[in-house]
Amino acid sequence: MKITICIGSSCHLKGSRQVVETLRSLIEQNDLKDKIELGGVFCMGKCQQGVCVTVDGEFFSVTPDTVKTFFRDNVQAKL
Amino acid sequence: MNNLCADIGYNSLIKYGEQLCGDHIDVVDCDSENAQILVLADGLGSGVKANILSTLTAKILSTMMSQGLCIDDCVKTVAQTLPVCKERGVAYSTFTVIKLIGNDEAEITEYDNPPVILIRDGKNYELPRSVRNIDGKDIYYSKIDLKEGDIFIAMSDGCIHAGVGEKLNFGWERKDIISYMETFYSVGFTAKTLNTILLDECNSLYAGMPGDDTSAMTVLIRKRCPMNLLIGPPSNYDDRSKMMSLFFSKEGKHIVCGGSTSNIAAEYLGKPLKPKLEFEDSDVPPIAEIEGVDLVTEGVITINKVLTYAKDYLKDNESYSDWSYKRDGASLIARMLFEEATDINFFVGRAVNPAHQNPALPINFNIKMQLVGELADCLKKMGKRIKVSYF
Repeated sequence: MKITICIGSSCHLKGSRQVVETLRSLIEQNDLKDKIELGGVFCMGKCQQGVCVTVDGEFFSVTPDTVKTFFRDNVQAKL
Repeated sequence: MNNLCADIGYNSLIKYGEQLCGDHIDVVDCDSENAQILVLADGLGSGVKANILSTLTAKILSTMMSQGLCIDDCVKTVAQTLPVCKERGVAYSTFTVIKLIGNDEAEITEYDNPPVILIRDGKNYELPRSVRNIDGKDIYYSKIDLKEGDIFIAMSDGCIHAGVGEKLNFGWERKDIISYMETFYSVGFTAKTLNTILLDECNSLYAGMPGDDTSAMTVLIRKRCPMNLLIGPPSNYDDRSKMMSLFFSKEGKHIVCGGSTSNIAAEYLGKPLKPKLEFEDSDVPPIAEIEGVDLVTEGVITINKVLTYAKDYLKDNESYSDWSYKRDGASLIARMLFEEATDINFFVGRAVNPAHQNPALPINFNIKMQLVGELADCLKKMGKRIKVSYF
């Protein structure tokens, strides 16, 4: 599974760094390093909905507050 | 015309307890001769009086010499213009003038300041001086061809008196300053940094309380290095490939800033854009890679950080300890623009990013334009040649 997170200006200001760091630690905790690849991307053209995240191409709008539920519902559930 | 240029750095320490500096440094471009005139003057005494004497001297010399007048006339004018000190009955300011002509040769005129130091190929090189007496003053004159890597250091006597009677018996002697500065020759520091190193050492020899106004001016002769920075997509969508082809056809390194902008560059080059996820202990977003581009970063936030560094660089350069080694986008740009580049071309796209026009965000179109303008001004003050093109 590939998760990409936008690290452009807008998403950065909306907390993409925290999203990346939380995802990293969640992946670590759940021992999913072999199954999930994290990647950055510059601007998906949907800045209004940031932080922009895609899971295998499917778009999600995530915030630092929702990242844990996002991980449970849209990442772990699909593995 | 060769491809050398002069990187100039200067600063002063003010005598402890004084508010004004009694030394004055003036740098003037003389376009008609393709020359630069650098003057370091040290006024008699300290405080207001010395400040007026040195400012007058430096201004007279730089103005007259940039108009092509001979040194005899300049010295006579200075002697006749300076107000005579009531207590001491003399009008007096020492000076050093370095005239760089076409970045080919230097003419150095010295009066009573410590002799200019030249470090060439890492070693001390005494200038071939001849002495002339003008109106009872011994003026030393020398002329030398410039060579890449030459470091000229002009000083006021505050430098060689640093620590006198306290940490050092006879102050920091010129020969010791030379061997100290020789050790930094091959590091690749800029003139500004070398100059700061010298003055910091003076300041610590004075235990932070300089006993005299202490000034230094460092000139580093280096090769020109062009650099190109692209930020923002063009306001007209159809100008994208025109903007890209102009940008990538320029000589020198290429920096691309901005998410959408780097997508356009990647598309133009037909290479993938690979953002990294390393945050590098910094508050700016991560950098990215495109084959064929020397550096790819995020836009507004990164440039804003670079601007903060640039402003600080022009003042006391305290953030040097951050940007001089870090691997984040802003530090990398700072090193490339402040240290490496001599000529910088900005390619600025004026497209408005709708997502940035949200009042809740501290970034918008006006801020972006303002940032680029301010950064260009700062870089000009660092002595860089700047060209800004808008699309």
